[in-house]
This record gives sequence, structure tokens and C-alpha cells, in this order.
Amino acid sequence: MNRRVVITGIGSVTPLGLTLEETWQNLLAGKSGIGPIRTFDASTFPTTFAAQVPDFDLAPYVNEPDAFKDAWRNVRFAMAAARMAFDDSGLTPGDYDPTRFGIYLGSGEGVIDFRNLVDSIAHGTGEGGRVDVVRFTELGLKRFSAMKELEQEPNMPANHLACEYGLAGPSYSCLTACAASTQATGEAMNLIRTGRADLMLTGGAHSMIHPLGVTGFNLLTAISTEPKDEPWRASRPFDRDRAGFVLGEGATIMIVEELEHAQARGAKILAELVGYGTSADAYRMTDIHPEGRGPAAAMQMALDDAGIGPDQIDYVSAHGTGTQENDRVETITMKVVFGKRAPEVPLSSVKSMIGHLIAAAGATELATCVLAIRDQILPPTINLDTPDPECDLDYVPNAARPAKVEVCLSNSFGFGGQNDSLAVRRFMP
Amino acid sequence: MDRRVVITGLGCLSPAGIGAQALADAVRQGTSAVRAPTRFDAAAYPGRAAGEVPDFDPTAGIRKDQSRYIKKNIKVMARDIQLAVAAANLAVLDCGLPLGDFKAKEPVLPTIDHTRFGIIFGTNFIPTELEDLSVPIQAAREDGRFSLKGWGKRGIPEMFPLWLLKFLPNMHACHTSVLWDAQGPNNSLTCSDAGGLLALDECVRILKRGSADRMLAGGAESRVNPITFVRYALLGRMANAGEGPAVAGRPFDLGGTGEVAAEGAACLMIESMDVAEARNARIAGEILGTGASTTTAGVNMCDPDGRAVATAVRAALADAGLEPGDLGVVLAHAAGLAEHDRSEAAGLADALGHAATTIPVISMKGVTGNMGAASGLADLAAALIFLKEGQVPPIVNCDQPDPKVALNLVTGDPQPLTKDLILVTTNAIGGQAAAAVVKMNR
Repeated sequence: MNRRVVITGIGSVTPLGLTLEETWQNLLAGKSGIGPIRTFDASTFPTTFAAQVPDFDLAPYVNEPDAFKDAWRNVRFAMAAARMAFDDSGLTPGDYDPTRFGIYLGSGEGVIDFRNLVDSIAHGTGEGGRVDVVRFTELGLKRFSAMKELEQEPNMPANHLACEYGLAGPSYSCLTACAASTQATGEAMNLIRTGRADLMLTGGAHSMIHPLGVTGFNLLTAISTEPKDEPWRASRPFDRDRAGFVLGEGATIMIVEELEHAQARGAKILAELVGYGTSADAYRMTDIHPEGRGPAAAMQMALDDAGIGPDQIDYVSAHGTGTQENDRVETITMKVVFGKRAPEVPLSSVKSMIGHLIAAAGATELATCVLAIRDQILPPTINLDTPDPECDLDYVPNAARPAKVEVCLSNSFGFGGQNDSLAVRRFMP
Repeated sequence: MDRRVVITGLGCLSPAGIGAQALADAVRQGTSAVRAPTRFDAAAYPGRAAGEVPDFDPTAGIRKDQSRYIKKNIKVMARDIQLAVAAANLAVLDCGLPLGDFKAKEPVLPTIDHTRFGIIFGTNFIPTELEDLSVPIQAAREDGRFSLKGWGKRGIPEMFPLWLLKFLPNMHACHTSVLWDAQGPNNSLTCSDAGGLLALDECVRILKRGSADRMLAGGAESRVNPITFVRYALLGRMANAGEGPAVAGRPFDLGGTGEVAAEGAACLMIESMDVAEARNARIAGEILGTGASTTTAGVNMCDPDGRAVATAVRAALADAGLEPGDLGVVLAHAAGLAEHDRSEAAGLADALGHAATTIPVISMKGVTGNMGAASGLADLAAALIFLKEGQVPPIVNCDQPDPKVALNLVTGDPQPLTKDLILVTTNAIGGQAAAAVVKMNR
């Protein structure tokens, strides 16, 4: 039972582009997608900036645009990215058995109907902040919309995709925070390896750029608040003056396929997924274990799963959020896994440019590994102006760099302690 | 290469009480645990019902350091998360692994490899509690009206810092992993009603591929809160309890008017068979096969022909290498919403084929209401207990079986259990479907 799993289509919608190629070219050019928040008035919030997807019309990407009028941005991004992934793959409905084509998304929730929630709570609020739930309910039943409520559920992107494309195979949605779409891709790979499916639509979609999302991360002091006048400098992974991540949004959807199935239909093969590792810190709610034991275990597991040694890795796409803690521990983790060779293993964080796409981050970063292999070039970590003595590896500072790239690791370490790592390589028959 | 997977511990909190035995007793006795809602003032919903878990102590039976962790963090654990933690504790305490001596600074489970012990929970995104926002909302007012600018300036500072963490859907698996030092694979499946059985499916696949030796497979959700009630009321899914709460949830019954919103958590300790046998574990059952699919008809409806359920059931049977005729009983999801029940019934009839006329089919939602992601796992945990007596109890509140349901529904009198194989299914409206085949150990 040696079923190999390849990537045969990718679509992506990110703050740096409405196509994967556009995003990639901007990443290589060191461009930032971070700017003032456009979609609501965040002018008095502690954080006023984020990396947002440009406006676009969903109609060309879906069969029935009206079905999406109450959908949040996560669903819209997922549908557009999926359409482009399908186009990229060349798949047509006759090419597959729908019950053998499943879905596994690292899929973020929709948006709370903030205005109506606020008004309904206010309507019920009395002395000392106590809420009369009857009054809350009376206004809520009038104000909330059934479909907008349904669209908040985290499995909605997967549900919409199943209906749009008639995919009846095994379907899952996971939401392990920042690790979600790396986890989804790894599990999708395993479903194909073990014969549960021949094709999987995988990846992730998320947007937390809304009042309560920004509020939540500001309260945790997890996101950067400066510099407000030059927000493109705010995401500074591995830099001494880093102060948190910058929220992004978007979706990257990939088609992963069993190799013989892909070859039989003459598919263009973009790369091969060769390994997946997953672990839990089991330590604290958000703090990472100081020795990076969980992330190291996940990376080692991915290498073992791929049957390769650390010396074969040409590039690591970092989790690299730009928090003091993550970047320091991630550096330690690299040394645990790569030993003396660590300083020679390039490790960059595209979050420096594209922000943190939360559930969609992992798949987006994996896509950059696929393109690094294709184009033999490493995307940079920008804003690396002042080295941090505790972060002393090769982060591909500030400029993309041509390199031999055959095998990559892509890492995602989530809030809540899930650690996931994927190994991807140039496809060799 | 095909490792076998067994169930060695059961944990369950349901409206019927704490523990899988409590649910098993209620199902066997035919007693509904559904009442008028008490967890919040539901007077705006005349004639409503809820399945509420009675008071419980999430620190019961565990070590002092574990209790301390829970007490320290309980203010940032929403209801769903507390239920999950309690269910996981029950499953671990039930599975017979020795607890380490806290005073001697032993690991919490000293006989196991903690790096090969993981957790997957089926969960849902949890709505905020209203009183976590009420004062901040007031503080945000400008000129007597809510102002977003005011929210940024004065509302946010009134919120407690860890607010976001209280409601995240991966915190059930996070906290339980900290409590039990479970460093293995860890996931949170947000697939609504199907999440629990999908968690079981993924745990089984992880064990079979050798990435862990044991996993906690759980599902936890509370729909008994003001925001979820509004959501399901607007979606037209909620039962009308005009004749009293206990008879409100009527699976497969012509008189069904919708689903009773409920809460619960269930957690199974599952292990690879060689590991379980090596430690002489008590084995409650073996998971022979799992399957999954999803609705394709629409995001707010069920496949009229139940094809998602049919595909999941076929996949589970194929995975188990079994035929429908091998089954002894079907634990269906059906919670009393006609479209949902009929879709599942059509799918089951299709997948069971000829055997649909003979295999007893029940649903327990008349006892509990719809516990969301805990569904399927709670049913399985209870069934592994009450089926030992060799009888399949009748469906609570199914007095006038829907003639469109072409299944052997157990109504009126119990039916004999003639085989030890259980099929359990769940499916989310507009979403995922999951199925598992389990051989019970009598």
C-alpha cells in the first residue's frame, strides 16, 4: 500500500493578490500587503492595520452568486480560491468518482453579526451590566438573520464547496487556530495514502479582521500595534524589535491527488507531499513550551514520515509570527532538529509580508514552498533590520534569494499547542 | 499493518446525568431528561425545551495539580469546554490506567508514553456570553448610542484579556491535553452534529497508521445559550414544546416539530489492541470501521435521498469488511426535525438494503435532545452499557412512526439484540455525515 500523494492544483486569494502568481511575485519582490484596516472603522482600536484581501466580485467563481449574499469573507475567499484550484488542475466532472473526492479544510468561523449583537445586548442590559435575556432575545429574533447566523459556523466553507462541486467523499473541517490548514493538508494526505479517497480538496480560509476579532487579539496583546503610520513595518519576524503578529485574511485551496490517478488523466503535477508530523505541546493555553519540544517532535515526525533526514531539507517555511516568544522558540526548535547544520538551513517567514492568515496560513505557506521548488528561489523575511542575538539563523533577510530547492518543510504552531509540519518535494516519478 | 482499535474507557455528561451509566439507564427506562430551560431565562420562547446537563464538578477524581489547573483556568473555559474536560477525565479514570503519585512528582499517567497519547474533540465555535460584553458595550456609547470609535477607546479596555480564549473551538483539546499531558496528535473538528464521530474516525486512522498508541475521541457542545437559541429558532429547527418539554423531541415521529437544543460531552479512550491487551485493559468494544461523507444538496438542507448518510454507512461497512445483515442495531441521529430525520432514514434504508426491514433502529434524542458534537459518541457510550442486557429499548417519544421512514424502528416494546455489531451515525444539516461500526464486548 504505497500510494503517493501529489498536488495537482492550487488557488489562492491573499492580501498580496487575487491569484497565486500575483501573490508569489509580490512576495518575491518583498512587498507588504499590510495597510490601514479598510472594512470597518478601526481608527481607535489599539491596532489600526491589517493585511486585507483586495475587493473582488465573487460572481465569476461560483455557479449561483446569490447563494453567497450572507456569506462572510472566509467563504468568499474559499470559493474563489477553489475555482482557481480546479482551473489549475484541469479536472472536469467526468474525471473522478465524487464519493472518492473529499474535503479537508482548516476552516475559520464566519463573522459575528456585531452590530445586531451589540444592539440586542444593549437592549437587555440593566444595572451593573446584568443582561435581561428575554429582552436580548426579543430584539435578537427581530434583528439577526437566519442565514447570517448559519454562515458563522466553521464548517460552512466546506459545506459550500461540497455543494458547489458535488464532492461526496469524506469531509472534515478543523479549527486548530494557526495550525489548521497545515493539519488539514496532512490529514488529507493520509486519507489518500490509506485509500479513503483519491482526491481531496484541502487548505484553509479565514478572516478575523472584524471588530471582535481584532478586539480579541488586542486583548491578548498578540498583535502588533505600531507603527501606525508605516504599518508595512509592523510584521517583523525574528527582528529584535518584533512586537506581535499582524492579522491577515485569505484562502489557499489545493487539490491533492493519488499519483496514479493524476498520471492516468495526464495531470500537471506541481509537487509531492511526502511527510506530515503532528503533536501537542500539552503545556499552556498560548505559551509555547520553552524548549520547543512539541514543534521539534512534529518536524521530526514529518521527516521520519517522509523517510528523509534533516540534511535533505533545503528550505523551511517558518511559522514565524513575529511574537517575541514564537520566534525565539522556533529558533531553538530548528537547532534541536537540524543540530549543527541549523545555521545553513534557510528559514523565512512570509508572514512578514502577508500577515497571519490564521486558519489559512499553513496552506498559503505550503503553496510558497511549492513555488520555491518550481522557481528555485526563496521568499524573504522582510523588516529584518536589527538582528536579535537569540535569533541567529539564516532567515533570508529582506531580499528573495535564488537557491537550490528540492525539499521543504512548512511549519505551523497554533494557539492551543497544536504543532504541525509538512514535508513537500519536487515530484520525481 | 492493520492495527485493531479498541475502546477501553467511557466518559459522558448528558442531560440524563453524569456518566455513561446515567444515560444508559435513562434510555433503558424510557425516561426523557428534557425540561424547560433553566440555564438562562427562555421566557421569550413560549413552549420551549432544553436538554441540560445537571451540575457537575470537572475536578472530580483527578489529582491535586490537575484540579488546581482547572480552578485556575475555569473562568476562561466556556461551558462547552468544561463539559469536554469533565468527559475526558471520566474516560481516562474509567480506562484503568494508573494515576501517578502527585506528591512523588510522578507523571500524571506514569505507565504510558505521553508522546504517543493524543486527543481529538468534535466541537463548535462557542458564542460569547452576553455579560462578557454588556459593560464594554455600555462604555462604548457616545451621545447615547453605540459607537465603534467609542468601542475602540473605552469598550475594549473593559473586556477581560483572555476573552477570546474562553470561546475558541480548539480549547477543549488544548486544556485536556495539558491536564493529561497528551503530547500526541491533537485536533478539533468543527463539523457540527457530525464532529464527535468524525473525531472517532480520525483517532482510529491515527492509531492505524501508528502515529499514536492511544487517543481520546471526544465530542462536546452546548446549544443551551441565548445566542444559539436565537440562531436555531430563526433557522426553524427548534421543537415546539407546547405539550411539555419531556415529549418535545420526537425522533422519527409524525408529531415531531423540530429538535430540542441540548448540551453534552462524550469521550472514549481508544487504544490499539496490542497496547490494550498488554496492560490487561478492560475492553468495552472494538471499532471495526468508520466512514464519512457530506451533504451536497444545499448548505441549509439535507439530501432528500440521504445520500450523504448512505455513503458514510457504506464506507464504514466496507472499512469493517461487513455486510448490512451482520449488524445487530443502528443508533441513528434523528432528533425530531422531519427533514433531517427523513433524510437520514432514506440514507439508512438505501445503505442497509434488504436488512433495513429487520435490523432494529433507535435514536436517543428523545431522552437528551440534540447535543451537537457530542452526538454519536454519547449514544455509543450508553449503548455499550445498556445493550449488554440483550435488548434494544424503544425510541422515547416515537409513538406515531413516520410512514416515510422505511426502517425497523423500535417502538412500543423492546426488540432483541441478535448480534453484537452496532452501527452509529450522525449528520449535520447541510454538512458532514459520519458512521462507525463497533463490535461490543459482552
